Amino acid sequence: MPAAPPAWSPLPPSGVLARYEIWDSYLTQERGAATVPTIEALLPLVERAALKKLCYFADVGLGTASPAIEAWVSTHPDQIDEPLRRWPELMLGMIQLNARDVPRSLVALDRWLRDGPMVGVYFPGSAPAGLPCTHPDVARLVERVAELGGSIMMHTWYKTGEAGPPHGSTPSDLAELAARFPGQTFICAHAGGNWELGLRAVHELPNVVVETSGFDATAGFLEMAVRELGAERVVFGSHLPSRSLGTELGKILFAGLDENQKRLVLGGNFRRLLRRA
Amino acid sequence: MMSLTRRRLLHATLGAAVLPAAGAPQARPLIDVNVSLGHWPYRRLPLDEPAALAARLVALGFDEAWAGSFEGLLHRDLASVNARLAAACRPLDGLRLRAFGSVNPLLPDWAEDLRRCAIEHRMPGIRLHPNHHGYNLTHPSFAPLLHLAAEFGLIVQLVVSTEDTRTQHPLTRVADVDLRPLPDLLRQEPESRVLLLNHRPQALPPEMAGLPNLFFDIARTEGTDGVARLVSLAGPERVLFGSHAPFLIPEAALIRVEEGLLAGLPEEAADSLLFTNARRLLHA
Repeated sequence: MPAAPPAWSPLPPSGVLARYEIWDSYLTQERGAATVPTIEALLPLVERAALKKLCYFADVGLGTASPAIEAWVSTHPDQIDEPLRRWPELMLGMIQLNARDVPRSLVALDRWLRDGPMVGVYFPGSAPAGLPCTHPDVARLVERVAELGGSIMMHTWYKTGEAGPPHGSTPSDLAELAARFPGQTFICAHAGGNWELGLRAVHELPNVVVETSGFDATAGFLEMAVRELGAERVVFGSHLPSRSLGTELGKILFAGLDENQKRLVLGGNFRRLLRRA
Repeated sequence: MMSLTRRRLLHATLGAAVLPAAGAPQARPLIDVNVSLGHWPYRRLPLDEPAALAARLVALGFDEAWAGSFEGLLHRDLASVNARLAAACRPLDGLRLRAFGSVNPLLPDWAEDLRRCAIEHRMPGIRLHPNHHGYNLTHPSFAPLLHLAAEFGLIVQLVVSTEDTRTQHPLTRVADVDLRPLPDLLRQEPESRVLLLNHRPQALPPEMAGLPNLFFDIARTEGTDGVARLVSLAGPERVLFGSHAPFLIPEAALIRVEEGLLAGLPEEAADSLLFTNARRLLHA
């Protein structure tokens, strides 16, 4: 049993948080050999925050990680889904795709998504595998993911001063892609970082939901997201351990939402999305 | 203790589940060393009216906050900014607000702004925005400013960043303040007390970690072990609680201290950070 929370902490007791049935759509654990140890190190915090599910993004040997991690994955393929075996009640997994290598990504989709146990895919937003999602090769992979009924997490950022990340996508890019696949739901990771822009960019696309992590606990974000998209189109991500629970869970718990809206954001929407997928 | 009326109001705003239980034990009141009054220039914020901010901080267990002014970022008539800030910093809903006026050493007669902060407004300190004001710490006026602040006994709050560089308005982009000149300056001015606000220390250089007159807040200290790591590097007596409210939600930094406990932060260090260090700095 966790110790009683300090009197000064605004984080509700675990028993209260458990009522939200929190599912985390975005974990950023260390990769390769460090994946299992970093998840293990998070467990006390996971218990304290009553996180019911954590979704990690596995490198499966497609060139999505550093050479050292790729080498480790190639010699330890049995470790790719080890988190799912070790913590079957806690972990969900998506595979990282490399749109710069479509043939091998298609094979990996069959191996990990069609045959399980992964529930979706993650398109990274940085080198070496990131590619703007307006590129035709991304659409080729999306078509296959849609056939297989997988979920899609798309890394997005609008960075001030950059026209668009050279290896990644903006929410405007995602809106363009999503318009071509109206039957597929896309998760707009980080709401574009510059969320005032990101929310506007995806506003008209009902098949795009936004994920909440990856930027400071800026006040007003959730209120605008729910106002513009509706609470049904916002999913919680923790970005643990590189971000803090205070920042990421705090954004939702202490925003001006009602309890039903918080339940949707903290888990209900992600569960519905995965069921639909 | 919070009045029933205010508690009902907060329940309506926040939802019952996230409020501490009525009468929850709060041994000592907290101090937030990093809040701002006025309006954020780029959007309205949920707590940007002083009464709303005060009610939220009191509900969280604070009885004191050190306040700068968002107007201090861009206004050039800082004397009027600071006068308004001083007038606004009256006890509010059980919260004592202490004003930290803005000083810009690039403005003509900046020393007069500093003097008014100390003498006319009796402020405990000043707040500097080197990036928004367009200078670095090697500017010829910066060392004299530190010296004068020390002579007046003023705490110097140095705002390292106000907003993530990636999300700033494209017409007013500023980099985080380059702190490399600071160790030498603080060694030359040992009576000065500098509190860094919104610093994101990925790693703290040893020359900064060992400076007894340099202090840190945790408003933008990220990662599950960020607070524990900062305290281990800087020492338990030099890390203070700051939230950067209302730009950031004030609960975020507070929860981060609890995360620190899970990451190995000693309880006594959390206690110093939350309750002791700000008072010690104020009365040093």
